[in-house]
Amino acid sequence: MAKGIHIEGLSKRYGSGDTAFLALKDVNMRVEPGEVVGLIGPSGSGKSTLLKCLGAVIDPTAGRMTLGDDVIFDNGWKVRDLRALRRDKIGFVFQAPYLIPFLDVTDNVALLPMLAGMPDAQARARALELLTALDVQHRAKAMPSQLSGGEQQRVAIARGLVNRPPVILADEPTAPLDSVRAMAVIRILNEMAKRFETAVIVVTHDEKIIPTFQRIYHIRDGVTHEEAGEGRALSPP
Amino acid sequence: MTFPRLQARTLAVLVVVLPLLALFVYVGARSGPLAPVKVTVSTVESRSITPAVFGIGTVQARYTYRIGATVPGRIATLNADVGDRVSAGQLLGELDGVDLDERLAALQAGVKSSQANLRKAETSRDFARAQVRRYDALLQIQSTSEEVAALKRQELAVAEAVLVAAKEDTLRLQAEREALQAQRNHLRLLAPAAGLVVARHFDPGTTVLAGQAVVEIIDPASLWVHTRFDQVSAEGLAAGLPAEIVLRSAPGSLLNGRVLRIEPLADEITEELLAKVAFTTLPPALPPVGELAEVTVQLAALPATPVISNAAVRSYKGQRGVWKYQAGGLEFVSLQLGRSDLQGHVQVLQGLAAGDQVVLYSEKVLSAGTRIDITDQLTGQQP
Amino acid sequence: MISLAGRDILHSWGKFIFTGIGLGLLIGVTLTMAGVYRGMVDDGKVLLDNSGADLWVVQQDTLGPYAESSGIPDTLWRSVRIMPGVADAVNVTYLTMQVRQAERDVRAMVVGVHAGGPGIPGWPPYLLAGRQITRGHYEAVADIATGFTLGDEITIRRHRYQVVGLTRRMVSSGGDPMVFIPLKDAQEAQFLKDNDAILRQRRSTAANPQFNRPAVPGLLEAVTASQTHNPSVNAVLVRLLPGVSAHDVAEPIRRWKHLTVYDRPQMEAILIGKLIATSSRQIGMFLVILALVSAAIVAFIIYTLTMDKIREIAVLKLIGTRNRTIAGMILQQAMVLGLIGFVVGKISATFAAPMFPKYVLLLPIDSMLGFLAVMVICVLASVVAIRMALNVDPAEAIGG
Repeated sequence: MAKGIHIEGLSKRYGSGDTAFLALKDVNMRVEPGEVVGLIGPSGSGKSTLLKCLGAVIDPTAGRMTLGDDVIFDNGWKVRDLRALRRDKIGFVFQAPYLIPFLDVTDNVALLPMLAGMPDAQARARALELLTALDVQHRAKAMPSQLSGGEQQRVAIARGLVNRPPVILADEPTAPLDSVRAMAVIRILNEMAKRFETAVIVVTHDEKIIPTFQRIYHIRDGVTHEEAGEGRALSPP
Repeated sequence: MTFPRLQARTLAVLVVVLPLLALFVYVGARSGPLAPVKVTVSTVESRSITPAVFGIGTVQARYTYRIGATVPGRIATLNADVGDRVSAGQLLGELDGVDLDERLAALQAGVKSSQANLRKAETSRDFARAQVRRYDALLQIQSTSEEVAALKRQELAVAEAVLVAAKEDTLRLQAEREALQAQRNHLRLLAPAAGLVVARHFDPGTTVLAGQAVVEIIDPASLWVHTRFDQVSAEGLAAGLPAEIVLRSAPGSLLNGRVLRIEPLADEITEELLAKVAFTTLPPALPPVGELAEVTVQLAALPATPVISNAAVRSYKGQRGVWKYQAGGLEFVSLQLGRSDLQGHVQVLQGLAAGDQVVLYSEKVLSAGTRIDITDQLTGQQP
Repeated sequence: MISLAGRDILHSWGKFIFTGIGLGLLIGVTLTMAGVYRGMVDDGKVLLDNSGADLWVVQQDTLGPYAESSGIPDTLWRSVRIMPGVADAVNVTYLTMQVRQAERDVRAMVVGVHAGGPGIPGWPPYLLAGRQITRGHYEAVADIATGFTLGDEITIRRHRYQVVGLTRRMVSSGGDPMVFIPLKDAQEAQFLKDNDAILRQRRSTAANPQFNRPAVPGLLEAVTASQTHNPSVNAVLVRLLPGVSAHDVAEPIRRWKHLTVYDRPQMEAILIGKLIATSSRQIGMFLVILALVSAAIVAFIIYTLTMDKIREIAVLKLIGTRNRTIAGMILQQAMVLGLIGFVVGKISATFAAPMFPKYVLLLPIDSMLGFLAVMVICVLASVVAIRMALNVDPAEAIGG
């Protein structure tokens, strides 16, 4: 049973005719459950386009994507409801936490299972469980604006994890944080990846954290190159 | 449960929202057509009322003398002025008689000369009579002729005839003089009775026509109020009843009077009864004739009956009655109403008993299904 | 599932309440405007109700005593009274004039009521305080809107009247409060202007050689007296016997007495159709404008509120929230805003209504219609914001 995310020959063309621009040419990636890989590349290299394709918010032009056991894209979407796909199969962690300001921490996390139809009490219980795992359970009733940056990012990670997705896409998750907090976030991501058997792709150009990855995909001019990372051991908190 | 976390905010929201909702509900229930109508109720009392009749009139004089000439003429003198009190027979003025005085003097002279003639004729007759007597004696003793004696008798007859003529002439001249004197007297304006001069229409020098009044005199003791009473509300008005008179110029002072008579003719156009109300004692300062006066005639007190205020009387579905208040609600009772007094009390002849409660004042027209809200008063001032 | 709209409103409830109050005041103005129109219609209706008449007999070819001046002889009621089917026929006069009280001048409609006591047509049908007129002269019952109180001395033309009773909602079709005085006084008041006018008239009559003839003593006085007497009234109010059709009574009066007779529906048509037609169109225009302004404001507020949340909406979409949920959130917020606005508007209109100089009648049906209109406007106004929210690209949440 294959888990994680597999991408083969993914390409994305913007526009058509003379103005056509091939943002992704031939992207091949494979991330196993429990693995945290880095996706790095200079601006304009196609990082964001790849992330959007992975996140199912834009349509790739060609290629094949497999998420867990399901082929989700094979020269066309293979799932009808991309929203449900995003909600249930993909966790997002953004550069900024983007918490919903009018929901408290628990409900921010519990919103996703609720949207998926889980009863409120159960969803909140699961949210609390994750918050506990991420050590922010003491802020469970607080509003996002009352949290520190690190706490907010942890809540955001909890939100990404709450539906137990096979893959988490993290877009510059450490950009606004200092190195100590950045390292803490990476450590959490690693822990969670192991704990929940989730494949984690971290898009970043944060020099502080690049050395922590076991594997790194470089993307340049729409083409990925796999490299071995330093895989530096993470210091305990 | 997230409730405890939201407590402070929830509380704040409730503090704003709940009063708003409460106000909304209040507004919905207490205003508009659904709201109950505020009314006041009063209890029907059994009591006696003293009806009164109210009318207005003008002060008039019972006797007004309009003094003028019977012949046209120019006013020579006028001694009376407005406000003067005059006595009976007083000369008020005179019309210019033109040549009347001269003609009177001529006649006077004529009378005198005729009287002289008369005396002359008397003398002639006396002499003639004496002659006759003498010649008769002479004839007895045959000292004169029968012819002479007859002549003397004839002279006596002539003298007597002359005397008669002179007498008649004197009488004629006297009569003529008296006629002229009478004519002269007609030019004199005399007060026929004691009174007060209220108008002087012309001044000396003006020529007046026969029949035009020059001076008007009234008898101040005869002032009364010519009063008009609405026929609808004049029930019980009769001569002899005491009346209160309030003059327009003295609204504060009450004058006593008495209904002198009800005029047998009513005013059919204005639908009023006319009556004369006399002052019991005249006010020291006489009211001007023509002044407006309000007259209230008090009638006898009536035996006690159920009495309501006329403010309670309503018209509903073409019937006159009141809204009776009972524990269950309102019920319209049509009434037979009796007399009323000027304070607005009305007798109820049929339909209510003392002790019943009726709606006195209300904010709106009532109907059988109206919800009511009984309060003490509706205007913020005691009735 | 938690209510996103509800949470957002609770989160920024202050903003919602204050915006709602602002909107509410606007809605209050709109409701009051409708109330002003209803008040005008009601003024006309109570005028007819309060007269207690079933038929109005007026001068031929005139529009009745309220909309046009009408003069008929004051003895005419007798011949109307004896028509079959007539229960009561009484004279009445209506004249709008200045009524003085101490230093004040009040514009009022002076009604001359036929003698006979309360309950007959023309008399005030109910009182707030005091009593009905009992004397045939110089007593008055005034509408409380005149500001008079019991016992006040008021002056109408040459005469002083004592206020003996107060009533309410007795107004002319123009909204002027009524003052009821006995008919004879009213006839005089209608005719006699003031002492100066009388003197001028007397002088001009005296200067006319036709009237002032030395050879005919008394002629001038007779002419002057006839000039100061007014034998006409404005209308005869007729009450019918129960079960008699208005048409059956009106027709012979029209035909044989050469008068115009109106029944209740015709009178309403005159008062509402003719007298206030222009005003009501005016108010209708205002209502349309206010509705447009309200819609624009709601749309703008909802648009702004949505703009503030555009990032959150993108995130919500990215993490898989359905369009329906997002549209529902915006719609619910718009409707809550409308609801707050309506509640505030209704309250403010109700409390403001009695402060208006003319009668403002707030009908529940108007409130219902107003509520529906507010909701429809809010729904329509949220369409723009919903469209914008649905067009948000979830990819925007992924930076860069």
